[in-house]
Amino acid sequence: MSATAANPRGARAEATRTRGLRVPRGAAFVLAYLPFLILFGVAPTIYALDLAFTDANGGWVGFHNFVRTYQDFRFLPAFKHILLYTVVWLGALMVFVVGLALLLHGRANRVSSAYRFLFYIPGALAGAAAVVIWLFMLDPTVSPASFLLHHVLGADIFAQSIAPGNLPYIFAMIAFWTGAGAWIVVMYGALNTIPPDLEEAARIDGAGAFTIAFRLKLPLMRKWIAYMLILSFATGTQLFVEPELVQHASFGLVPDTWSANQLAYQIAFRYADFNGAAAIAVDLLALGLVGALIIVTRSGLFRTEDD
Amino acid sequence: MRVPALTLRALILAAFAVFFVAPIVWLILAPTKSDAALVTSSPFSFGSFGNAWRAWHHLDAFSDHIYRRWMTNSLIYSLSATAITLAVSIPAGYGLALGRFPGRKLILSVTLVVMIMPAATLVLPIFLELNALHLIGSMFSVILPFSFFPFGVYLAYIYYSTAIPSELLDAARVDGCGEWSTFRRVALPLAKPVVALVFFFSFVSNWNNFFLPYVVLADSNQYPITVGLSNLLASTPSFNPAVGGGGQSVNIFKPELALATLLAVIPVAIVFLVSQRALVRGMLGGAVKE
Amino acid sequence: MARVELEGVSKVFSDGTRALDELDLSIPDGEFMVLVGPSGCGKTTALRIVAGLEDASGGVVRIGERVVNDLSPKNRDIAMVFQSYALYPHLSVYDNIAFPLKITKVPKAEIRRRVADVVRMLDLEPYVKRKPRALSGGQRQRVAMGRAIVREPQTFLMDEPLSNLDAKLRVQMRADIKKLQNELGVTTVYVTHDQVEAMTMGDRVAVMRKGKLQQVAPPEELYRWPVNAFVAGFIGSPAMNMLQARVARQNGALEVVAGETRFELSEAMLASHHGLAAYEGKPIVLGIRPESLEDAALANVDGQPRMRGTAELREALGPEVLMHFSVAAEPAITDEVRELAEDVGDDRVVGQLGVPGRAGAQLVGRFSAESRVREGDEIEVAIDARALHFFDAESGLAIYDA
Repeated sequence: MSATAANPRGARAEATRTRGLRVPRGAAFVLAYLPFLILFGVAPTIYALDLAFTDANGGWVGFHNFVRTYQDFRFLPAFKHILLYTVVWLGALMVFVVGLALLLHGRANRVSSAYRFLFYIPGALAGAAAVVIWLFMLDPTVSPASFLLHHVLGADIFAQSIAPGNLPYIFAMIAFWTGAGAWIVVMYGALNTIPPDLEEAARIDGAGAFTIAFRLKLPLMRKWIAYMLILSFATGTQLFVEPELVQHASFGLVPDTWSANQLAYQIAFRYADFNGAAAIAVDLLALGLVGALIIVTRSGLFRTEDD
Repeated sequence: MRVPALTLRALILAAFAVFFVAPIVWLILAPTKSDAALVTSSPFSFGSFGNAWRAWHHLDAFSDHIYRRWMTNSLIYSLSATAITLAVSIPAGYGLALGRFPGRKLILSVTLVVMIMPAATLVLPIFLELNALHLIGSMFSVILPFSFFPFGVYLAYIYYSTAIPSELLDAARVDGCGEWSTFRRVALPLAKPVVALVFFFSFVSNWNNFFLPYVVLADSNQYPITVGLSNLLASTPSFNPAVGGGGQSVNIFKPELALATLLAVIPVAIVFLVSQRALVRGMLGGAVKE
Repeated sequence: MARVELEGVSKVFSDGTRALDELDLSIPDGEFMVLVGPSGCGKTTALRIVAGLEDASGGVVRIGERVVNDLSPKNRDIAMVFQSYALYPHLSVYDNIAFPLKITKVPKAEIRRRVADVVRMLDLEPYVKRKPRALSGGQRQRVAMGRAIVREPQTFLMDEPLSNLDAKLRVQMRADIKKLQNELGVTTVYVTHDQVEAMTMGDRVAVMRKGKLQQVAPPEELYRWPVNAFVAGFIGSPAMNMLQARVARQNGALEVVAGETRFELSEAMLASHHGLAAYEGKPIVLGIRPESLEDAALANVDGQPRMRGTAELREALGPEVLMHFSVAAEPAITDEVRELAEDVGDDRVVGQLGVPGRAGAQLVGRFSAESRVREGDEIEVAIDARALHFFDAESGLAIYDA
């Protein structure tokens, strides 16, 4: 490169000749992160793919594991369950999260943030705790909503509440209860990026609140709604905690392979068939990607937006 | 149409507020009532502190004070993992945002991809990996996977790309700072908001994590509180009619279970409330004008 | 000793843009050198290479006889003031200024002494405990200067430090900085895009364009003897008027013809511009500074060539009047002229009359305040023929000697 060639006085140059400018800057800061990324991010992904296409001895078996698990009598029901659950959940997210965010936007700030806080609280309780709370809520003998349980679900005892037909909707509600708050905050933030001038211009042009919400705000939130749907679709298909806990609470009423992930778990640990389990995991991954693709193309996410 | 629209809006918001909050209020009040009282009295009535105390005794007595161990485990797992996460993710985000080295974009892309991949897919392979590394059975089988938090790296990356002008780092370099000095004296002190954010998300995610510990831990003494709750659930006669008739008297009924759940939630609630301000400011970022 | 030398310094960025092209610049110890030019000319890149914040793709950089190409910024004994000041937001004024000393492990007592000196010098005493966000723009600027001064470096580097200040403050700070530099006597390299700053502050000014050095000289010389049309148009405001012209021989004497204006070249002019003779019959660019034009009714020098035109716009500034007027001549539209206009954001054809159907050039003159010319008047404008400039129509080079 540069200096040394042209300079006859190079020999007198400082002993403190550092490589400061040439060393890739910032690389050292990422060093500690890399082992984690590889060990718990990259390697498991590759490992999962590897397991899915090999047998217990490591030999290549093509799609054999996929076919085998597909033929398991519990496979289709499990996938049907999670797909139904995911669709209901995404629907609820789309309608209610967006709706609530729109309702909260543009009004008295203090009231608005109080509501957002309330909506967000259950988010801290995700997982087992949330499920247990809702198990109580679904028990007509103690629940404050026993009236609703009776009239909507036709349930007078706990066992009726968690009847198999109700499960996708119940799980969707639990997921919504814990997850909606955070997304409402995100949507609210997205709405805040809309320049207030646009709204004022629309109002002057004669648009009412409804029209503004649907014709102006909603289209501008498209990107965020798509993100929300993509992330939720992927996590939704991976449902595990909720059905697993309900299974414990119901002792036999709900099968321990209700969701696809539960099936994978059972196949792995009850039958020690990690290859089959990996095949199901890869199925779920593919499902998530396909869902993402559909959402992206349907919502025109990557189309250049005109502001 | 003005007035009805306004009250409709207020009604909808209030209804949802009830939906989100009522179960929690119920949960707070439940341990104060006896098992029978839960059925007979109003869901939002207050029982007595005596009942709550009794519920605690039953809960504590279960399986030789295992509840305390579960809570301790959760604290250890969550705090250790979060500490490691912070120590690793903040510098990584800094390096990715403000550094210039080959592979930077690659690492960032891989992080993003792994981030949107739900953890559940990776749990089984991670179990096999940990098994191969002979870590199954040690608490590191939980702490190490927990410490991998790509979302934290991403948050730090976003923060450093937007909040720290590169001229500031130039100034530090001209003033005599080497790479590490620049980070320690300038970039790190300015990272308080994102540290709070990453702490919050990491801690909550670790605390609430169920699937990974469920898979990798065999000894119930090592369970975090999430898995412990499921264990409790399976052992109680309240939802599980088969238990309790087996000869051993397990005094875990609804109030005890409610108490167990409530206590399990408190640490997260505390972290949650404490991080509120940083959370709102950080999440909405510079894009929002309140 | 702290001369700063750039020898054949080039910079090509990874996307292929050539920001600097064989820059040769020598700055003697204690000089206040200003790098000036439109955006993208490479002045900031050059500064950052001297600072060590960028690598040179080629060439040698010396600070005080040392070759510094491979040295990191902290080892070059330089201090830098940034356009955005780059103050550490989490540190107080005191800590900001003390920062570089702390890093180099200067003993505490000495830190206190030096910081106190600087704080006093810059009138920052009432603010020492404040954080940057509690300071005004001017105060922040002084803190940034203080942080540089306290290091007692061999060289100061300043990257448009005044551009974020409002106009009045800028005028004040210009004087302060210059005074400070005179006192401290430290070699200073100062980057700006404002030619007024350049002219008032620089001992010498280096005009740059598209990575190449155009001319480096004391301000006066740049103003009087620009080396090409770019420098001529860049220095001076309002900018020099440029007209298409040619040199013709009339009755044995050389004349300059620009549209319907023609006048004879005086002997003095010919003496200092031999080269014009070679351009007989060829197109050239005639440059006339606004300050060389005056309302003919007020001109008190005999024998000055005259121009006829129509007054379009009168801007009364108080001590003088800027008169925009059109003449029957063609404006010179060269690359340089176009680039200068674009730099200001004007993408119209420079100098052309904005009125459809009317051909002609629009010129600006600085008339005395007593001028009675009104918009719409047909006027006569006197030209100070001693201060004319001529440029080759193709290369843009100024025509002086053959």
